[in-house]
Amino acid sequence: MCTGLENFAQDSCILRRSGLFGVMDRTPVTILTGFLGAGKTTLLNRILTEEHGLRVAVIENEFGEIGIDHDLVINADEEIFEMNNGCVCCTVRGDLIRILGNLMKRREKFDHILIETTGLADPGPVVQTFFADDEMRERLFVNAVVTLVDARHILLHLDDSDEAREQIAFADVILLNKCDLVGADDLARLEARIRRMNALAKIHRTTNAGIEIPKVLEVGGFNLDHAMEVDPHFLDGHHHHHHADNVTSVGIEADGDCDGQALNEWLSTTVREQGADIFRMKGVFALKDRPDRIIFQGVHMIMNAANGGPWGARPRRNRLVFIGRNLDRAALNAGFRACLEQPA
Amino acid sequence: MNQLGSTRADDNVAHLAWNGDLLAATPVTGDILVLDIATRDVGSRPGHGLGNGDSAWFGGQLATCGFDGRIRLAGREIHAGRGMIERVKASPEGGFLAAGQAKSLLVFDRDGRPARGLGGLPCAVADFAWGPGNPDDSPRVALVGAGGARMWRLGDAEPFARFDWGGASLRAEWSPCGRWLATADQTPSVHIYDFTKNNPLHIQGFEAKVRAMAFSADGSRLATGGAPVVTVWPCTGPNGPDGATPLQLDGHDADVSAAAFSPANGKLATGDATGVVLIFTFKGERVLRKRLRLDAGISSLAWHASRDWLGVGMDEGTAAVLSLES
Repeated sequence: MCTGLENFAQDSCILRRSGLFGVMDRTPVTILTGFLGAGKTTLLNRILTEEHGLRVAVIENEFGEIGIDHDLVINADEEIFEMNNGCVCCTVRGDLIRILGNLMKRREKFDHILIETTGLADPGPVVQTFFADDEMRERLFVNAVVTLVDARHILLHLDDSDEAREQIAFADVILLNKCDLVGADDLARLEARIRRMNALAKIHRTTNAGIEIPKVLEVGGFNLDHAMEVDPHFLDGHHHHHHADNVTSVGIEADGDCDGQALNEWLSTTVREQGADIFRMKGVFALKDRPDRIIFQGVHMIMNAANGGPWGARPRRNRLVFIGRNLDRAALNAGFRACLEQPA
Repeated sequence: MNQLGSTRADDNVAHLAWNGDLLAATPVTGDILVLDIATRDVGSRPGHGLGNGDSAWFGGQLATCGFDGRIRLAGREIHAGRGMIERVKASPEGGFLAAGQAKSLLVFDRDGRPARGLGGLPCAVADFAWGPGNPDDSPRVALVGAGGARMWRLGDAEPFARFDWGGASLRAEWSPCGRWLATADQTPSVHIYDFTKNNPLHIQGFEAKVRAMAFSADGSRLATGGAPVVTVWPCTGPNGPDGATPLQLDGHDADVSAAAFSPANGKLATGDATGVVLIFTFKGERVLRKRLRLDAGISSLAWHASRDWLGVGMDEGTAAVLSLES
């Protein structure tokens, strides 16, 4: 397990470990996921052909739906490297490590790298490659996971496909594509269901993957500065669940200061015991005797935290979101609230 | 030290290969250069799009490959597939050329025709190494990737040996004596397999991922580098490196990026990202060290087969030949 949160009281150490700072020196990577036929290739073609001022290299799965013949496309075979006896947070993509290792040797660097996964891929190992491998972490950073959802057909997969649910759960941006093929009411219900699964993602409704390219490439979903751009409605606790998905978001909001040591221990225990089922985490914390915000995020068992600057005029309000499978909302709430300093 | 010549490639010179007095310098992108001893280009080859793989001499001709999924031999395309190809290697006796592409090992004969390749492998070929030549036996090749190493005789339906472990290996070197297979792994570790014992040795504790690895020509030493310290493992005696104390050679200012033993005189050359090249000469228990500082980070090293000449590739695109003859 790699928590990265050994001690909130020594967050300078965490800053060094976080791998999320100094991003100006590193090349951003966008991970493009989505089920077969969701429109990934259409979006890729647009990114490769439209004028957006960025030199983008694309790593495409060798067995993609339709191969793209373009001189900036590299074909690869998705290859999972399990490390440390199958520890889920140490599972990485070997093909990416080798391709990107070569690309990073170039004198003429790319402005952006886009990785397309197969429709059946688990985004976890792709994301973790950029946290678990030292060379990848030093030279690249994950900008965002972008998931295309076929608005007309996704309901055929959501109930019985772990991959479809995980692709939604991991996303920073969701393109609800092929909206022209779905009625307004059905679309609203689908969007609400997706929102319950992933409270953190930006959702865009599109047809033919038609979206301004910066909304895909300039997201900063893994940037801690954006760690808690959550729909305020999501955290207000008034949700009406019409469908019981096993992938859900759990939001926690509480005023007051946390005991740093207790918070660290609770988070470490939580990811150690439930990390395989936790896809994404983001949070902002107020710690006792600390004037600044502590912001954090995580993927499975990997967590990063950093000083988020002064609270300023904002209330010292802790906000935390888990996205995962079979999450125990009550237990997570109780666990977090036990970390709050009790009033004297 | 005397520089015999230097020239510029289009990009970081990631690989060097000698053939007599010709030196092939393969940059990560752009044309692949064929240089004479004064580093004059005597026949460059076109590159492979977004990335070149390591080149190899095969039957006196240069074989090249790359991210475009193609293999060219003597300027002729002998393979075109979709998946990237990271390197081609010729078998020690010179009869076969091989390349890993996804879950296949492509094998070609001297005429560039497909010959006894391996397909449908359980995992992608991260790297492979030919076993030393044996005229009485089928050519042997070790494939590494997720899950460890598999050793095959060309044409067989099953591997003749396998070394499994719970991680993944990225690079492979088979000792010229045939006894040892060494792998550099995804984690900061090395596996050394003793074929005489079927006994894998997992060496951990490296400061960084091992990026450079080379056997001496007689197989008695294995050099590994990743961190600034070069480690040389003794590969002699009944146990080889198992239980032995390796040599820890310092002098680098940054992580070691390349290592090569001279087939002519056993010297070890290592290079780092700051441009430091160390030349180690082994004299009994003593190790003599010569330190050179070049103008750019070292990305590849290759010794001439019979002369005390060292090819040096640099990360800003320079390919140079240094003479260490007195």
